[in-house]
Amino acid sequence: MKYLSRRLRTLAECAPIANVKAPDRRMRTALSRAKRTDDFAAQQSFDRALAKLVQATPVSREIQEWFANEKMAEGAKRSWKKTAFHPAILAIGIALAVIAVVAGIQFGEQMNAFPGTATAKKLLNVAATTRPSDLEAVEAEAGTLSDLFFMKYRLEHYDVPRGFSRQQTIGVRKFDDDDAGQVAQIGLAEKRMQLFLFPAPRDSKTGKPEEFEGWRYIQQEGWTGAVQVHNGILFMAAVRGTKKDLAPYLAKQ
Amino acid sequence: MTGETSKAQDIFQDTVREAAFLAAKGEPPADRHWFFREARWRCLDVVAHGVQPERGINEACEISPQAPEQIQQLEPEQLAIWISAAPEPQRSILALYYLDEFNYREIMSMLGLKLHDLSRAIESGRREFQAWLNATVPVAAEK
Repeated sequence: MKYLSRRLRTLAECAPIANVKAPDRRMRTALSRAKRTDDFAAQQSFDRALAKLVQATPVSREIQEWFANEKMAEGAKRSWKKTAFHPAILAIGIALAVIAVVAGIQFGEQMNAFPGTATAKKLLNVAATTRPSDLEAVEAEAGTLSDLFFMKYRLEHYDVPRGFSRQQTIGVRKFDDDDAGQVAQIGLAEKRMQLFLFPAPRDSKTGKPEEFEGWRYIQQEGWTGAVQVHNGILFMAAVRGTKKDLAPYLAKQ
Repeated sequence: MTGETSKAQDIFQDTVREAAFLAAKGEPPADRHWFFREARWRCLDVVAHGVQPERGINEACEISPQAPEQIQQLEPEQLAIWISAAPEPQRSILALYYLDEFNYREIMSMLGLKLHDLSRAIESGRREFQAWLNATVPVAAEK
């Protein structure tokens, strides 16, 4: 065994006495190398003789009687309930559940993401902080404001979709946003809804506006926005509430 | 571990009683290692309160090819007394190793030892036991 590496020699010194399978690969390697040496054979003979002597140790009758009821000393099997409620298992379970929920939310957000999501979320914040007095009072049907935006601000294709076009407005404004560009904001009398029109982000390679099909929803701090793109302009209807509050208007499309 | 049958018997009974007590409380020992761990601590406690073996440098020599024949001439009690006189943790290591019930990983886990310490204790135990064997059963050694 002197020719074995220190690591293998260390393992070979603890080799199993009986001819049983080694508990791991490291030990198996050490044994296969050590078996080629003479002193390992002497070690095994020595160990087996000693183990045999240990096995021959007489056991008193009292102790033998204890073993008559050996099942009493059997290790207890944990029930699945007890295992499940073990603090460590419970903690791991809760952590995994939280990770799964966060991952699910992020996956859901990614699935619902559309070009302009970040800008739309920013405008939801604007909707939440806008007071009616911030808007220039205009009482008209929302659908008629396209001409106003074109005539007054030179904003082309700033059209309100059909589902919202008959809604009465209480005010409008146009402002410039660093990210969104020129934004048209319309306040509605019904449900204090707000409509936003702003340019869709453009593809960096082609320069064309990025488009998507149908309505996409975003939610933030109690506000919900339904977003659609048409002719390179994003339209967002924002309301304090849920998707259900917007659903009747979108169904009219 | 104790070198005395009566002490070992008491420790065995106390250990099994403790296991039964825990089982009655609904917290039975998780595995069989618990019994050996518990018994070991009880042995160490009993030995610490008893007569201590003299501490000296044990002679050591290479394992002899005649060792198995020498060992055959021993009584189990002689081996038990020799092991019980070994210092800790070598005593526990040799007791568990020659019980031939556990692999090296289990022994390391039960005794909280590293592989190097385990290996060194077994290796020096063999050599010291061989030296004692040569002194105790010289006839076979001389063959």
